[in-house]
Amino acid sequence: MTHTHCPYCSLQCGMSLERTGRATLEVRAWPDFPVNEGALCRKGWTAAGLRGSRERLTSPLVRDRASGELRTASWDEALDLVAGRLLALRESHGPDSVAVFGGGGLTNEKAYQLGKLARVAVGTSQIDYNGRWCMSSAASAANQAFGIDRGLPFPLADVEQTDVLVLVGSNLAETMPPAARHLDRLRERGGHVVVVDPRRTATAERADTFLQPVPGTDLALALGLLHLVVALGGVDEEYVAARTTGFDAVRRAVAAWWPERVERVTGVPASELRALAGLLVGADKVTVLTARGAEQHAQGTDTVLAWVNLTLALGMPGRASAGYGCLTGQGNGQGGREHGQKADQLPGYRMIDDPAAREHVARVWGLPAASLPGAGRSAYELLDSLGTDGGARALLVFGSNIVVSAPNATHVTRRLEALDLLVVADLVLSETAAMADVVLPVTQWAEETGTMTNLEGRVVLRERAVAPPDGVWTDLEVMAGLASRLGSPVDFSADAEEVFAELGRASAGGRADYAGITYDRIREEHGVFWPCPSAEHPGTPRLFADSFATPDGRARCVAVEHRGPAEVVCADYPVHLTTGRVLAQYQSGAQTRRIRDLPDDGPFVELHPMLADRIGAHDGDLVVVTTRRGELKAPARVVSTIRPDTVFVPFHWVGANRLTHDALDPSSRMPEFKACAAAVRT
Amino acid sequence: MSAVGRVVVVGSGMAATRLVEELVARGAGADVVVLGDEPHAPYNRILLSAVLEGTHPASALTLREPRWYAEHGVDLRLGARVLGVDRERRDVMLVDGTVVPYDRLVLATGSIPSLPPIRGLVRLDGRLRERVHAFRSLDDCTRLMGALTSLGVPDPCGLVTNRTSGGREPAVCDQTARLKPARAVVVGGGLLGLQVARALSVRGLDTEIVEGGEHLLRSQVGSPAGQVLARDLRRLGTTVYTGARAVRLTDLPADTGTDTDTGGVGLRLDNGYTLETDLVVLTAGGRPSTALARGAGLEVRRGVVVDEHLACVTDPDVHALGDCAEHAGRTTGFVAPAWEQAALLAHHLTAPSTALTYTGSRTVARLRATGLDVAVLGDPERATADGGDVVEVTNPVVGSHRKLVVRDGVIVAATLVGDLSRIGLITQYFDHGTRLAGTEPGQLLMGDRTAPPSRLADDAEICACAGVSAGRIRACASLDEARDTTRATTGCGGCASAVRELLATRPALSGTT
Repeated sequence: MTHTHCPYCSLQCGMSLERTGRATLEVRAWPDFPVNEGALCRKGWTAAGLRGSRERLTSPLVRDRASGELRTASWDEALDLVAGRLLALRESHGPDSVAVFGGGGLTNEKAYQLGKLARVAVGTSQIDYNGRWCMSSAASAANQAFGIDRGLPFPLADVEQTDVLVLVGSNLAETMPPAARHLDRLRERGGHVVVVDPRRTATAERADTFLQPVPGTDLALALGLLHLVVALGGVDEEYVAARTTGFDAVRRAVAAWWPERVERVTGVPASELRALAGLLVGADKVTVLTARGAEQHAQGTDTVLAWVNLTLALGMPGRASAGYGCLTGQGNGQGGREHGQKADQLPGYRMIDDPAAREHVARVWGLPAASLPGAGRSAYELLDSLGTDGGARALLVFGSNIVVSAPNATHVTRRLEALDLLVVADLVLSETAAMADVVLPVTQWAEETGTMTNLEGRVVLRERAVAPPDGVWTDLEVMAGLASRLGSPVDFSADAEEVFAELGRASAGGRADYAGITYDRIREEHGVFWPCPSAEHPGTPRLFADSFATPDGRARCVAVEHRGPAEVVCADYPVHLTTGRVLAQYQSGAQTRRIRDLPDDGPFVELHPMLADRIGAHDGDLVVVTTRRGELKAPARVVSTIRPDTVFVPFHWVGANRLTHDALDPSSRMPEFKACAAAVRT
Repeated sequence: MSAVGRVVVVGSGMAATRLVEELVARGAGADVVVLGDEPHAPYNRILLSAVLEGTHPASALTLREPRWYAEHGVDLRLGARVLGVDRERRDVMLVDGTVVPYDRLVLATGSIPSLPPIRGLVRLDGRLRERVHAFRSLDDCTRLMGALTSLGVPDPCGLVTNRTSGGREPAVCDQTARLKPARAVVVGGGLLGLQVARALSVRGLDTEIVEGGEHLLRSQVGSPAGQVLARDLRRLGTTVYTGARAVRLTDLPADTGTDTDTGGVGLRLDNGYTLETDLVVLTAGGRPSTALARGAGLEVRRGVVVDEHLACVTDPDVHALGDCAEHAGRTTGFVAPAWEQAALLAHHLTAPSTALTYTGSRTVARLRATGLDVAVLGDPERATADGGDVVEVTNPVVGSHRKLVVRDGVIVAATLVGDLSRIGLITQYFDHGTRLAGTEPGQLLMGDRTAPPSRLADDAEICACAGVSAGRIRACASLDEARDTTRATTGCGGCASAVRELLATRPALSGTT
């Protein structure tokens, strides 16, 4: 029996794996792990379904020049081929002609090693990852406001003790079901759950108060709530004076957001705003959690800042069982953004343009700091530049299925086609791997060891339970193999625990300091919360009790304005389109769509009966959703739980992201996945 | 940078403030001079009735501090009253003799309250007599609040005290301090009049409304809506006189029978009635403030006439926006159009383009008054007269009247009184010009149908986390069996009660007792 964690979302539920045959595994509950206490959703229960599956890749694949088809190849042949092409490109077009694309599902060790591979072995600045499309807006906002970006600055179970919990754009009852148990316990205690979502989701069904704004207007809603909090005299003036700066400008800015104006912008009746503001002002402890619904917008960072301002005005961050947090999405969304696969960062959440940070990391790597490249392009911009003048001509992909998950996907797919060389490491032949020139088969979670950092900032250990199939390498082995072939000046270990120790040294003194964390401590302590700078340090479950991570220790109130979605509905595209997840699938579905016990009904178009009547569609009829970028045909799902001016499409299948918009947030570079203008017809 | 040199803005109201914000955002702050005749930093006029009512603190009205202007290089001059404009010399002169030259002049002078023709309103020096109040500016509001205090009206309640770490205690409202409530008459039953009347009523005054027209809100809504409103107001304790004009204000004799002589006044109506009152508040509408424009020889009809670039038709170097401007024969009087104009004008002043034109605004008038729910989208009466299709529901029993005016499937105007449950959707459709199917306007005004509960079909999903149907639960003998064999309840836990219910009500298996 091996204790490990679910391969999917950021909750990283603890689970036990039992070997029930030579190659088969059975998932069992692990009741002692505190985050989920033995609970799992069907994705977790069925996670072992890819073991022994014919869909698993067990040999490298190389695209045959003559036939254009993928054929099997030996590891040596595949890696030699990749290294040879990369070296030639670097020679002819410089190191930035090679780009690297990572993922928020990679372990900390892989994320760290991928950053090092890019900057040391390849020497390119062009590395980013799909986490840019996940939590980057919340990350950018938290860094501005608090000086540090840890999704939740407290253990998730703390929300049970708050008085009012506001979930903005989170459908956690479907995206991380075991987390919903905390909502129920909060309500049993007499607490109040508020859900803000354009759809009355399974999460909203568990709420006491439900607000249903137009997609892309959560920012205006927050401004309106703060306006009312000010009007009601609900600002904690002592706290604001002692622990924040910049609130005066925020107070002035919200003077212009009276409830009736907010009503017109958001579609939320002024009476509902007033009721919620009264609830917030009357509560001792308020917790606001945002998720992708609020964050995946071209004004996502400012939206989060507006909600942070609300909690700061109420005097909440740093108080027990109160404050602001972000519900991270991907399994290692948190750790994945801390250790150097982000275009502008080095390990330990250090900024790549900070000379001291470069010096420190270069010393750990045994290199001169000047040899490290500078900041590269953000995820979408990197992909958008592929095969263009000044863009990369080769791309290495680890842990991402770009063809399904990128916004404006038709365009991005064309950019991938324009590459000289596309290399994809994956466990199955994903839509992106199917386009590759070289596909490298890698281990899945039960076959490897490494750490993940969950949404609470708790570093947990994924332990190997079973040997990988013959012919499959770990990502670390692949990176080591490539690094040596590229003539890397330093060694790349393929041993996860060794890499973790190096990561600890590289992160030491940084904002996300892992220096004191070891595999043994994680095993003994059910995870360790960063920052944990030394072996003696107990880890940091709760941040901000005494001060914030800014130079003066005060939180920053940043005045923000609502600009609205980049694309406004009009006569030709009269409905809002928003996207999201369903319970039984995960992200691009590369794994979950291949698990037999999970239903794969394909994409659907959720719409309100009034809108269905308008276009003459009945439940189950094929309908066509079009935007300025693409078209999707899928069955209608007619439900009265969605705003009548909005349609919803889940993004686990090819199609949804052919529709979405590529407008980017100016600070986080997050694309506007969650709101664009669409038309729907039969 | 401004593309046109020095921009002088006359006015510091909401339109002017937004224009300056837009210019600052475009990096042109240093070229801007703002001349505001009020002594206060620019504030949110919209919220004055909330301040009166006590639901918004006066201290939280300011939109921008003078410091903000200074930081962005804007030359803000408060208490700067403009005497005249000399378009030949391209400058303006203030009452203190200061001359301010301009390259472009923007008139954002707003509107001034109309004085109804009531004899005895005004003192010899031209100011309103004591006990008579206008309600347009912060000073008007402050003066009225002061009058309430001197009448013994308690300070507003309803605001919680400032939050402290130890929690808060709600302010205690003592309405018994005064035995006999003070009285107020609001002259004018438009949006502002209703807001002020409700505010005074909430503050504990005996309030009456005098409206010369046949029904309340006559410039916005039809008679059924006005009647619903009047009924609502009466229910809330406010008497409404419609079709009655106030004609004369008189001092009351000292011995009118009140316990303490408050020195009230009598407001005589044209139907012969005299209303005794302690206060008269004039809210009989406003008119664009155009004296400066007239004096400068600019074309003025109801407002200062501007073209699609918000330039005066007489002089392209002079602009007007907000309440004082008249575009395509219309003046507005609302903030939203003024702000749309401000964004457009800022664009023209920094990056001139003939392509960007002002084509008018959609207005949504929303009453901000406790206990009254009113929204008016567009101009429902005119849209009806212009041949729009009307879909309406009046329910006098609950006091609601809702009317949608539809043209080619698009909601072009609407009146919603007493029931704003669908306003968040109707306003969106109105603002975006969404084309609806024939049945939709009706559906928008009807309540949601709720399906009656029925026995769950065997294939109905009970546990979404594990994907378990009602039938599979019914096949289990106990909760433990259901948990172990189906994994129902092992995810989010939300289905636990439904599973228990299903197990409790499952048909007994044959052969068991």
